[in-house]
Amino acid sequence: MSATIPREHEPTALDDGVTASTGAARGVARREPVLEIDHFSVDYGVGENMVRAVSDVTLRLERSRVLGIAGESGSGKSTLVYAMTRLLRSPGLISGGEVTLHVTDEAGTVTPVNLVSATESELRKVRWSHVSIVLQSALSALNPVLRIGREFDEVLKTHRRHLTKAQRRARAVELLRMVGLNEDRLDRYPHELSGGQRQRVMIAVALALDPELVIMDEPTTALDVVTQREIISELGALRAQFGFAMIFITHDLSLLVELADEIAVMYAGSIVERAGARELYEAPRHPYTLGLLHSFPPLHGERRELTGIPGTPPDLADPPTGCSFAPRCAFAMDRCANDKPSLVEVGDTGRSVACWLFDDASGSRVPVALSRVPSRAATTKGET
Amino acid sequence: MRIVARRLGLYLLTAWVAVTANFILPRLMPGNPVQTLIGKITSQVTPAEIRAIRLSFGLGFKEGLVAQYFTYLGQLFHGNLGVSITLGAPVSSILRESVPWTIGLIGISTVVSFVVGTVAGAMLGWTRGSRFDSLIPTATFFQAVPYFFLGTVMLLVFGSNLHWFPVLGAYSQGATPGWNWSFVASVIRYGELPVISIILSSVAGWMLGMRNMMITMVGEDFVLMAVAKGLPRRKVIMHAARNAVLPSIANLSLAIGLVVSGALLVELVFNYPGVGDLLLQAVLNEDYPLIQGIFLVITLTVLAANLIADVVYLVLDPRTRSEAAV
Repeated sequence: MSATIPREHEPTALDDGVTASTGAARGVARREPVLEIDHFSVDYGVGENMVRAVSDVTLRLERSRVLGIAGESGSGKSTLVYAMTRLLRSPGLISGGEVTLHVTDEAGTVTPVNLVSATESELRKVRWSHVSIVLQSALSALNPVLRIGREFDEVLKTHRRHLTKAQRRARAVELLRMVGLNEDRLDRYPHELSGGQRQRVMIAVALALDPELVIMDEPTTALDVVTQREIISELGALRAQFGFAMIFITHDLSLLVELADEIAVMYAGSIVERAGARELYEAPRHPYTLGLLHSFPPLHGERRELTGIPGTPPDLADPPTGCSFAPRCAFAMDRCANDKPSLVEVGDTGRSVACWLFDDASGSRVPVALSRVPSRAATTKGET
Repeated sequence: MRIVARRLGLYLLTAWVAVTANFILPRLMPGNPVQTLIGKITSQVTPAEIRAIRLSFGLGFKEGLVAQYFTYLGQLFHGNLGVSITLGAPVSSILRESVPWTIGLIGISTVVSFVVGTVAGAMLGWTRGSRFDSLIPTATFFQAVPYFFLGTVMLLVFGSNLHWFPVLGAYSQGATPGWNWSFVASVIRYGELPVISIILSSVAGWMLGMRNMMITMVGEDFVLMAVAKGLPRRKVIMHAARNAVLPSIANLSLAIGLVVSGALLVELVFNYPGVGDLLLQAVLNEDYPLIQGIFLVITLTVLAANLIADVVYLVLDPRTRSEAAV
């Protein structure tokens, strides 16, 4: 599992409508998208008690790329991915926008599938064959009364009907080996495995049908730091080998920078900053991103003082009129309380920030902490 | 297998305790059955007759309590439960006649009620909030009505008035008991109304229990994963139901254990020749050997049912296996 990970040497992989023209102008060849999220909003409940958990999110993920979504609890990052895969439970409700998954069939033909309007049977065809999910707690994600082998068998039996029992078993063994587990685990029950082993099983099950997109919802949060690192590096190697695209949700930015090509930071249901992983890590632009970076110790590199972010996230049932981060922001200005900034491109590397500090018209001075220049390594995405 | 053997050992120990209690308890009671029996005989009783009665109760021997106890165990081992005072027949042969009726009637009703209630509960839990939820208060109503009332009303309405079902007894007078078709058909025909009444009065418990567990399970991550895996709806429901049914299985074992004893009201209302009816007669007549024999059978059925439930549980829930091994 120590294969070197080939990385694309492009500054950006993630574009949306706003940056598309500039991307083309820069001469960057746009890759085929695997997932396009367009002005997507999700509510909990309706009427008086309605809470907008995700508001107007636009994202684009290209083939074989890793998009990290970061944010603290309640920022809407999990709601976003569950809603877009139509797994969100009542009272969650998609209230607007489109989600398009570009599905490649066995013949290599790409068909766009609108996930928001797809019927149950259309969804069943797409699920797991093209989009799979790994949850935070593998213990609760695995059925406690079934052997590990059944998890594989069930998926293969449903989606690969032509396989015989022996072939399914062989595939399960192969998948387990891929994540560094012995085949004898197949006959074990979830409670007989360690936390790290269980999460590896989940990852192996997620890759069983060779999907184009794997969604990881805080897959390492419940694990110790050593296992966390092992799994992150294995994920990198597996992605290099199989070329699936990945959405990786976490609140730990330092973990994301290891794995992701691009990072989107969410706060109170909106994306507040989006940039290349290293750029965002080394030179954050949004005050909230800066705060997040100061909330976790970096896995390696220079030590930072951990300060955290004062205050608490806004009550989404009664959101502030202006910038939702303004009440906690050290750099808040008068207009922040009244006008909500939208996500606009800043600089020339395709990064976008939703913050008035970077509005040229406002004439405000950008604080030193938010104007660091990313190192050359960051802009060229060198691997450490 | 080691766990099963350990459980089995535990149950053997429990059975021994029960058997011993069955020996000691009557000996702690004031008075003795001989006095009772003599009191029942209206004519003159000679000393020789008293001695004979004492002997038949095992009281005439000049044995100590310990020796008596071992004699008792030995007799028990050979299936000798003594002789019924009122019926004048060996308790074991009386039980052999009435136990099958009870097991047949109550056992089948309990199992059918469990299956119907659990399947309905699983569906109700899955489609929570649908119009089928109105089944719950209906079923609960029938469980809330005292059984003797429900049974009597059903007997009156469907049996006596509408003549949809035959009433009184376990088979028609014309049929000759044995493995012939007309007798079996008659038993089934006569069993219908009692079975329906028992199911009606007990199905709500299974239904509610399963529904509530199902609602809990539907919120679990592994059910979400089953959906995410694109499994057909039927399989997703099975994922939830497979886990939700575990507490119901435990309750089923208790219910089956009580089958033999819990039949009293049913058998009285429908005049069914089972153990419940027998026990009532035995208690009314202070027929100690019979009471003791019935208690023993009840105790052993409860134990056997629990043992079976334990084993089934071990098979169904792998987590209990490792916990037991600790």
